[in-house]
Order: sequence, then structure tokens, then C-alpha cells
Amino acid sequence: MSDWVQIIGVFADEEECVAGIESLQRAGYARPRVFAPIPSEKILEALQMRKSPVRALVLAGGITGALSGFALTIGTSLTWPHVAGGKPIISLPPYIIIAFELMILFGALAGVAGFLIFGRLPRLESLRGYSPRFSDDRFGVMVTCAPEQSGRAEMLLKDAGAQEVHRETA
Amino acid sequence: MAAVPQPDFREIDRQVMRTLEWPGWKYWLWVAALFLIVVWGAACWTRQIYEGLGVTGLRQPNMWAVYITNFVFWVGIAHSGTLISAILFLFRSRWRTAVYRLAETMTAFAVITAGLFPLIHLGRVWFFYWLLPYPNQRWLQPDFRSPLVWDAFAVSTYLTVSILFLFMGLIPDVATARDESAGWRKVFYSIVSLGWQGSEEQWRHFAGVYLLLAGLATPLVISVHSVVSWDFAMAQLPGWHSTIFAPYFVAGAIFSGCALVLTLIIPIRRMLELEELITPWHIDNLARIVLFTSLIVTYSYACESFMVWYAKDPFETATFQMRYFGHYGYLFWIMVFCNCVVPLTIFSPRVRRNLKALWVVSIFVNIGMWLERFVIIAGSLATNFVPSQWGFFVPSVTEISITAASFAWFLMLFSLFTRFLPIVSMTELKEGLRWLRQALRKESAEAA
Repeated sequence: MSDWVQIIGVFADEEECVAGIESLQRAGYARPRVFAPIPSEKILEALQMRKSPVRALVLAGGITGALSGFALTIGTSLTWPHVAGGKPIISLPPYIIIAFELMILFGALAGVAGFLIFGRLPRLESLRGYSPRFSDDRFGVMVTCAPEQSGRAEMLLKDAGAQEVHRETA
Repeated sequence: MAAVPQPDFREIDRQVMRTLEWPGWKYWLWVAALFLIVVWGAACWTRQIYEGLGVTGLRQPNMWAVYITNFVFWVGIAHSGTLISAILFLFRSRWRTAVYRLAETMTAFAVITAGLFPLIHLGRVWFFYWLLPYPNQRWLQPDFRSPLVWDAFAVSTYLTVSILFLFMGLIPDVATARDESAGWRKVFYSIVSLGWQGSEEQWRHFAGVYLLLAGLATPLVISVHSVVSWDFAMAQLPGWHSTIFAPYFVAGAIFSGCALVLTLIIPIRRMLELEELITPWHIDNLARIVLFTSLIVTYSYACESFMVWYAKDPFETATFQMRYFGHYGYLFWIMVFCNCVVPLTIFSPRVRRNLKALWVVSIFVNIGMWLERFVIIAGSLATNFVPSQWGFFVPSVTEISITAASFAWFLMLFSLFTRFLPIVSMTELKEGLRWLRQALRKESAEAA
């Protein structure tokens, strides 16, 4: 990778940033890395990213939670059978409440765990190309390419409205 | 709409970051005063642990009174935060962006405060783990048919999920704060932000999980106060045993919570100079929720009374007669005045736009909602089925002190948060600007 270069375009506007991503994609560059101060569906769409897999994890967590709720309540009641208020040992209606709460608890925990795992957080070192401006008011588009393609990438980013374009060598 | 100022990204950051500057002596004096009250409350609790529950006013038949009232009050307060942060997020309600962090912070601290009361209410607090429902060999027999056990699950889930939700929303904001600060704050914010840098991968997973957390928190918040209401409604005591308790309590919770948001936000936006971000438009919207839920609560009071009258059960009828005209009757009427009459003034746009008036209304609602729980809990217990068992609760100094300390504890945590973590979401305000610009463009096009 030593002869690859990173071209970083800094945008002040979300629409221009999207235009920059799209023109890079059209020109056949690899998918750029984008830094944004706000969550932007337009940027994610332009990058043609699929929806996050945390959704599946939340579903799995929720199902696990609900099943655990039933397992805990039914298992405990069967192990220590105790008739209270003339109700059956396994009284499903109240157990649904516990299963429901555990479904939400496990779903939420799985979601946050998935966010940390898939988003590779917490991380100690900075991502390449990051600048503190990107958490403030600027959007950054970083494309990695061979040196001979870098000139065109710079031009595409400038044409899309980048306020500044600079390069980093790996 | 046109009256809403529109700062740019930079300006939003600057205004919010200004709230994180090192606070002056007045702030520390305020925190110290609150801390002293907390210490006093802790001392009272220590004495109560040492001496036993005899130092409280709890006597048969009033074994639930001020502590449980406080528990229900604080859990209720929490609900508006989740309403604003999760339910309004799902409905894409734009005005929430400026106020949701404050409401969500309030939620987390209110649940933490509420969680203390089941412990404070224990005679032998060192056996608190007996409350936790887990299978055991000691024949404690956790009964999953008991609403108190449901409550343990509901409230602890609620505490966990609301803290996770608050934390998730904080991550991008704290990253902004990290990039703009130096010294120990930079270290602190670097740790809290988990090294967030807003790359497309991070945002993709963030957006996915944030939406789902909102989706999970929405049914959760409704379930939690329903479960809290079942602590009472599942019992057969007249005044508690009612099928409308769940929706009635949920509406009351949102009512009291939004009122406390108003109580907090009106002085805070002024003290932290956030007037440009938290505008009268936002406060107007909050006031409308207070008004709307006040009407639901009023309807619930009427409906509850109607059901008693229609059912003609002699015990219920007697309990309600005593609720209106008995020993605690005056508290009931103060409650009706605070919860049903005073909020009606919000119908007037002049009141909605007058911050001082709204603040006063919100204080009335806070008092009224605390009294509502007291009237239901202590009032119903006082006059049981058998008149020979009747007895009226009088709070002791210990209970009053601990109640005051719970308010101080909540305010202390909240005050500390406001000056060390961003109390307004920069990220969501920035995100909202796009919508605001579109709305303004549309408005000017329509005008033309």
C-alpha cells in the first residue's frame, strides 16, 4: 500500500459532499471514507451502503430475552412449586410481562453491543484522514487511489464544491 | 416558524460549548447547598436503618406512604424524557431536538432517584437482594405473579435502557466537545466519546441502533408506568383496584414529567444563555403536551369517580366519599386545582408565551402530581374495609427530610451534568437545520 495516496476533500455542505461522492463513484474510484458531523441518509445512500446488521442482532437479543423471561419464570415455578392465590403453578399472563421486559432489555443491550462491535468502538487511535473539523461543521471525503489517479480525484472533488483538497501519502 | 432563528453549525457548537466552560462560584454554591441537603437526608436514612422504621410515620394500616409516593412520582417524572426522546423521535417531531437531551438526562436521574425509594422503604436494607427475583435454594419463593416482582423487572430495565439511550445520543456530541477542548476535559471527553469520529461506518450502525432503541423504548415506557400502576391496581383495596389505572398513570406520568421539564428548562436556558437554541416555540410545544395530558388526567379522575358511582360497591363508594370529603379531602381538592384547573390557563397563547407564568403553572403541576400519588396511596390505605383498622398517616421529620433530599439529589446530579456534558444535542440541532431551511423556503415560496 505504500504507493497509494489519500485525497481528502473538505466540504461545507452536505449536498456538495454527496455530489462529490457520486462523481467519485461514477469515475470508478473505490468507495471513499466519509466523515460527517451529522447522521446523513443521503451520504449513506450515495455510498450505496446497506442497512446496519445491528438490526438482526437486536432481533436476536429480543427473542433471547423473551425466551429467557419465560424460561426463568416457568423454570423457577416448576422447581419451587408454590400455589399462591389459587393460581396455576405456571400462570402465563403475568409471565408475559416479565418476558416482555426482558425482551426489551436484551434487545437494547444487544443493539448497543452490536453498535460497539460493528462500529469498532471504543478505538484508541484516530482514523486516517480525520480532522477535528469533521465533528464540527465540515464533511470530509477521503478517497484512496494510485498516484496517477490522484489528479483526477482532486479535480472531481473540487468540481463538486470541495472548499479544500489535500493529499496524504501512506 | 419564521421567528425561529437559524444559527449555522459553527454557531450551534459555539453556543453549546459555552455551557461547558468552568462554572463560577454561584454554581458551586448551589451544588454545595444541594449536597448538604443530600447529606442531611443520608443522615436521616442512616438513623432510620439504625433505629428501624419506627422513626417514620409508617403505622398500620399505612405501611405505604411518602416513600412509595416518592417512588411513583420519580418514576413518573422519568416518562416525559422517553416520550420526548423516543416517541417524538419516531414521529419525526422536529421541535424535540433542542429539548430532548435535557429531558432524557432528567429521565436517567429521575429513575436513579426513584430506584432509591424501594431501598429506603426497607426495614432491613441489608437484605435488599431478597427483592431481586432469582431462583434460590432458601425458599424465598420469588412469586412471578406478584406485581412487585414485575416492577423490579420493569424499573431496572427502564433504568438500563434510558441510560443506554442517553449515552448513545451523547457519543457524537461528546466527540465534538473533545475536538474543541483541551486538558483534562479532552481526556474525559475522549473516554466518553469512545473515540467516535463520525465515519460513514460509525454513522451507519449508530443510525440503525438509535432508531431501534427508540422503537424499544416506546413500548417500554408505556409498560413501565402500567406496571407501576398495577402495584396498586392488582390489590383489592378500594381506591386502588381499578382497571383504568394503567392508561391513567401513563398519562399522569407524562403530564408530571413534561411539567418538570418546563420547571427546569425555563431557568436553564436563561442561565446557560441558550435562548437562541431553546426558543419560545419549543417551550410552547412542551406546554401543549402538558395541557393535553392534563385533560387526559382530568378525564381519568372523572372516569374513576363515574365507575365508582355506577358500580355502587359500598366499600368503593365509602372510600371515594372519604377521598373527596374525608381526612385527606383538602389534599384531593388541592390536587384537582393543580392538575385540572391551573393547566387550563395554557389554552391562552398569552400564558404559553409567558415563561414566568408557565414556570408557575409547572410548579403547580409538580405539586399536584405528587399529591395525586399521595392521595391514592396513603388515602386509600387509611380507610380500609374495616373501620376498626382505620388510621391516618402523618409524615415524620425523617420522611420529610428524605423527600427533600431526593429533590436535592436529583437537582444536584442534574446540575453537575449540565456543566460537564452537553445538555443540548449539537448533532440533532445541526441535523434539524436542513429541515428548518426547507420549511423556511417553503414558507417564503407560499408567501410569494
